Amino acid sequence: MASRSLFQFVTCFGRSAAGKSVFRQFSGSPVSRERLQTNVLTERASSPWNLAAAVCLQRLPVISQDYTPIEQQFADLMQEMELEKSVVGDHELRLQEDAEKMSRKQAANYDSDEDDDPRHQETILAQDLEDSWELRLKNFQPAPRVRDDVDKDLTTVERCLADSLVLLAEQQVGAAKMWLLPQTQWKEGETLRQTAERALASLPAAGFKATFLGNSPCGVYKYKLPKAIRTEGSIGTKVFFFKAILSKSGPSPAPNASFLWVKKSELQHYLKPAYMMKVDRFILGL
Amino acid sequence: MNPIFRKVSFTQQSFVLNQALSLCWAKPSIQHPVWGGMTAVNERQYKSMPTHGIGRWRHLLLRQKAKKKRDRNVIVQKPIFPATDTAYGTLNVIALGYDMTVVEHYSQYIHNLCHRLGVKAGDSYALPTKTTEVLLMPGQGTKMYLDAVLKTHKRVIQLSSLNAALFPVFMELLLKNQPEGVQLSLQEHTNADYQARFKVRPELQGLMVKINNK
Repeated sequence: MASRSLFQFVTCFGRSAAGKSVFRQFSGSPVSRERLQTNVLTERASSPWNLAAAVCLQRLPVISQDYTPIEQQFADLMQEMELEKSVVGDHELRLQEDAEKMSRKQAANYDSDEDDDPRHQETILAQDLEDSWELRLKNFQPAPRVRDDVDKDLTTVERCLADSLVLLAEQQVGAAKMWLLPQTQWKEGETLRQTAERALASLPAAGFKATFLGNSPCGVYKYKLPKAIRTEGSIGTKVFFFKAILSKSGPSPAPNASFLWVKKSELQHYLKPAYMMKVDRFILGL
Repeated sequence: MNPIFRKVSFTQQSFVLNQALSLCWAKPSIQHPVWGGMTAVNERQYKSMPTHGIGRWRHLLLRQKAKKKRDRNVIVQKPIFPATDTAYGTLNVIALGYDMTVVEHYSQYIHNLCHRLGVKAGDSYALPTKTTEVLLMPGQGTKMYLDAVLKTHKRVIQLSSLNAALFPVFMELLLKNQPEGVQLSLQEHTNADYQARFKVRPELQGLMVKINNK
C-alpha cells in the first residue's frame, strides 16, 4: 500500500460568541506534507472486498449544556461559600468612601479645606459608574439558548445548540435508498482519507467545509452482499469511517435535500441496527 | 530429704531467674523492633531449621535507584522530539482566555486527560499575562476614557509524543469539552517558542553586537 508520512499542521480553534455564527472559527494550515509515494506493487493480494470511505461530519456544540439539578445545587453552594469568604473589592471600597464623603459634605459643620486636595476629587462617582453599567446591561439582549421551533427541524444545522450533531445523508446503496453517513467508493491510487474528503465534497448542494481529524479511520463496517449478487471478485464492502469537524456550511440546502443533522440519541431511528452498532462506538455522546 | 529440698529450692531459684531474665529480654525487643525481616539482637539463629529466614521481606523489594537532586538554578531544555511515521512530535496545546479560573481548569482537565489516555505530557507552563485596555470614546466628548481592562491568560501543555491513531479521539474530546470563552490551539513546539520565554537581556545583546561588529 502507499506509504505516507504524517501531516503536521497548525490549527487554531476559537470559541467565542461572534454574532450568529454557529460554527467555531477554524484556521488550519499544513506546515509540511510530503507527497504520497505510490509504490506500484505488481503482486498485490487481490481481496474480494470492495473498499469505501465514509465521513462522520460533526457539528460541535455551540453553548454549554444546562446544569443538572445536583450540579445546580453544588454551584449555588459554592457561590454562597465564596461570597461569605470573600473580601471587599476595589469598586465596593470606592462606593463606601464616596458614600462617607457625601454624608460628611451634607453634615452641617463641613469644612471643605479639611478634605483631601482638590486634585484627588473625582468628578465621576463610583455610583454613577455602576448606574451606567447597569443601563448598558439592560440594553444588551442575549440570544435565546433554546429555541424549540428550530430544534424540531432536523435539517438545519442550527438546531440543538447544546449538543453535537452528526450529518446523515440518504444514499443509494445497491438497490435500496437508506440513511447513512455519506460514503463513496475507493479509487485506486488515493488514500482512504482522500476518499472520505471526496465523499463530503460530492454531497449535492451543500458546501460543507470540514477539518478532518487525523489520517487514521475511527471505525469500520463491513457487510456482505446477498448471496444472489455475490461473485468471486466481490464478497462485500468494507466501509471505513473518518471523523471531521464542521467549520463552515455553505448556503442552506433546499428543503428536500436529503440531509439530516441528528443527535446521538436520535441516530437509532434512522440507521439500520447492524450499522448503528458499529457507528455508535465512535460517536461520542458528549 | 535435704537434697530433695535443695533441689526443689534450686529449681525454684532457676525458675525465678529464668522469669527475670525473660522479662529483661522482652524489653530489648520492644526498644529495637524487628526491622526488615531481620532478627532482633538477642534472638538465636536456627540456621539448620527449615524456618530459618522466615519473615524476611526486604530482599523482595526492587532496588530503588538513588534519586539525583535536581538543581533548580540550572535551566535544562527538555529535548524536542521530531515527528515519526506513527506519532506526532512535541506538540503544544495552548489554552487562551480572559477568565483565569476557566482557563486554568481547562488546562488541568487536558493534563488529567493526558494522564488517563497514556499520552506523555512533558511540560506544562503558563506564558505571561497580557493586559489589554479597552478605551472607548463617548458620543459627545472627545476624550477617550478607560472602559475595561482585559487580561489574556495563556496556559501551555507540552505533549512529548502523541500517537497518530489516538489523535482524533483526543482532539474530539478536547473540542467537545472546550468551555465558553476559551480558545484552543495546537502547535508544534519549536526552539523559537522555547527561547521566547526568556527575558530579553539588552546589555548582553549590546555586547554581542559589539563583538560581531569588530
